[in-house]
Amino acid sequence: MTAQAPPTPRSSGQAPAGAGRAAAGWSSRTRAAVARPWLLLAPALLVLAVLLLWPLVRVFLFSLQDYGLREITTGEPNWIGLRNYGEILTAPELWTVVLPNTVGFAVLSVAGTVAFGTAVAVLLASLGPFWRTVTSSAIMAAWAMPAVTGTYVWVWIFDADRGVFNDTLMNLGLLDDPTNWFTNRWTFYAIVLLNVIHHGFPFVAVTVLAGLLGVPKEMLEAAEMDGAGAFRRFFSIVVPQLRQVFAVVIILSTIWDFKVFAQVYLMPGGAGSNRSVLNLGVWSYVESFGQNRYGFGSAIAVLLTLLLLVITAVYVRTVLAEEER
Amino acid sequence: MNRTMRRSVAVTTGAVVLAASVAACGSGGEGGGESADSLSVWIMQGTNPDADAFFDEVATAFEEETGATLDVQFVEWGDAHDRFVTSIAGGTTPDVAETGTTWTPEFADAGALAPLDEYVSDAGVTDDLVEGLVEAGTYDEQLYGMPWYAGVRSLVYNTEMFEQAGVEAPTTWDELEDAAAALKEEFPDKVAVAVPGDAEFTVYPWVWGAGGEVATLDGDTWTSHLDSPESQEGIAFWTGLATEGGYSSTGATTWRETDVLDAFAAGDVGMAVMGSWTPGAIVEANADMEGRFAAVPIPGKDGGIAPSVLGGSHLSMFETAQDKDLAWAFLEMMTTGEFAQQWAEQSGYFPGQVSLLDETLASTDPLVAPFAEQFVDGGASVPAAPTYGAVQAKLTTSTMMQSILSGEQDVATASAAAAEEMTKILNGAG
Repeated sequence: MTAQAPPTPRSSGQAPAGAGRAAAGWSSRTRAAVARPWLLLAPALLVLAVLLLWPLVRVFLFSLQDYGLREITTGEPNWIGLRNYGEILTAPELWTVVLPNTVGFAVLSVAGTVAFGTAVAVLLASLGPFWRTVTSSAIMAAWAMPAVTGTYVWVWIFDADRGVFNDTLMNLGLLDDPTNWFTNRWTFYAIVLLNVIHHGFPFVAVTVLAGLLGVPKEMLEAAEMDGAGAFRRFFSIVVPQLRQVFAVVIILSTIWDFKVFAQVYLMPGGAGSNRSVLNLGVWSYVESFGQNRYGFGSAIAVLLTLLLLVITAVYVRTVLAEEER
Repeated sequence: MNRTMRRSVAVTTGAVVLAASVAACGSGGEGGGESADSLSVWIMQGTNPDADAFFDEVATAFEEETGATLDVQFVEWGDAHDRFVTSIAGGTTPDVAETGTTWTPEFADAGALAPLDEYVSDAGVTDDLVEGLVEAGTYDEQLYGMPWYAGVRSLVYNTEMFEQAGVEAPTTWDELEDAAAALKEEFPDKVAVAVPGDAEFTVYPWVWGAGGEVATLDGDTWTSHLDSPESQEGIAFWTGLATEGGYSSTGATTWRETDVLDAFAAGDVGMAVMGSWTPGAIVEANADMEGRFAAVPIPGKDGGIAPSVLGGSHLSMFETAQDKDLAWAFLEMMTTGEFAQQWAEQSGYFPGQVSLLDETLASTDPLVAPFAEQFVDGGASVPAAPTYGAVQAKLTTSTMMQSILSGEQDVATASAAAAEEMTKILNGAG
């Protein structure tokens, strides 16, 4: 205790200094106080404005033009008002294929990633230090794998002629002839789902684990004394404690899974030759960059951004409303 | 990493865009603005393994002839299109560049390329250029791409499998089907003929071989004829080998040309439509295949040669070139005579000048002569429309093939949908 004594005089010595500054006039002090944080933030805000805001504005301006190679060459704008938006919203493909695929996939993969990631986190929390290190290293490997590499591995597994999956099924006698799993919309997305969950769960597991370790042990012990089983303890004590962690994890996963591109584009038939598996990412790429229609692509990007903002806003509000109750 | 990767990709893209625009400002006028004693050139990387030495030699010869120095930059195929677009936007295009055959009309349409007809006729080589490449480099009745080099796809077959099954290389469609049936009988676990779903250039020979057309230009309007009776007959024959004969494999429904090559190199395929540049890659992938495969020109329905797309490159002159005569001097040196021949030999492609092909045609190599025959007598071009790249990006033909091969649509329905889509995109109403 005596060792901690010295700081006390120093901190009490600060009080007079503060009082001295208070004497130096009201208005200039307030102005300085208001301006100081903004001055300190200015460099960062400037960088953000250049890197984020200006491109966003440009994308919006492009979205109001029929902007192609010719416009790039001549540098002349070609305003067409909201016609790009009209074309997007009236495209039959968007409503029958692209959006159902994107939204359905996002819902399933967010649910799958969060559920599986949480289960793994619970497992990790219950392990001893040695096995926790081993297991988390293993899941980190899944996380560290680039999306492109991971996708090719899944493609090889499900390859019609030489894939392990078909081979196994045929050896077990469950399948007579090889099946091409990539031509059917449902099996195609089942494979994408495996790929994305496998890729995304480590992030959820690690984040939730951090939250789990912060849940007070006393509460769990008290609940156990009161006779609550493992499931009851998890859903009634742990989950409410982790509400914010789940909010972050779900919002981020939703944004990522909405924008999934490489995992679909690189699959056989996923680049557009199998029209029934188009999702928003691939569709917008094919329709805009493939056709040199940069204005059309910008309009899709603007709509996607708005959509994700709405989803995020609604979700954040729900979470906050529950907090207040 | 996945999560952070995606974010860092976004950040990097932003940074690259920024850097690119800064660079564009900084180096304004790099292309045409300089004095005429130097010529800037972009060449695609990877075609010729020994490109550095080749261009050292060209530079020496060029300086001797014109007194100007040569500044050659190598560009990756993968980001070349973006680089062209950015430099066209910034007015920083090189004086001369290698342009892939399907890009030439696109860049010509954007007003970036200079027409070459006068130079070509002054040089007296008008009638000595490979027709398919001239066709591909012509936009609005003017030549914008000087034929440089190209390859062609023919029918490549596994000689060992053919011998065991007791069949000869086919010269008509009936013979091809009989050969496929015999191969399937002898090798039930192998692919008798690979009918890939995601490889448009393997489809068009059958369309043309039956007398059909992919698309034609009438005045200002393109019309796709993939749904004409002749085209449908060709498509029906080619896909029928898979859907009716069962001579292909279910996996091939989503194969690209690289997958065909892998399977062929593994010795699992009897015959397939493959490029003149693939024999080296096949042997490299599997040394056992050396001497065990050969090629024949793709047969027409009742014999003869079915046309096949010439895939290759033009050399194009950009409008930003200040000294166009100097640029032409380089074009002529590269695309005709000694250097054109040397480039073709080193890269394993065919030169774009007909008179240089005589020697190649006289070859008896089973992996050279048939391709050369196909190249000269059965070379064709995809529609030379500036919008053809958009058709390729939309995968119109592959969509048709996959829906037929997977059994979702019949030939009539799928080809009608493809023709409608292609016509619409070709006329710029994507």
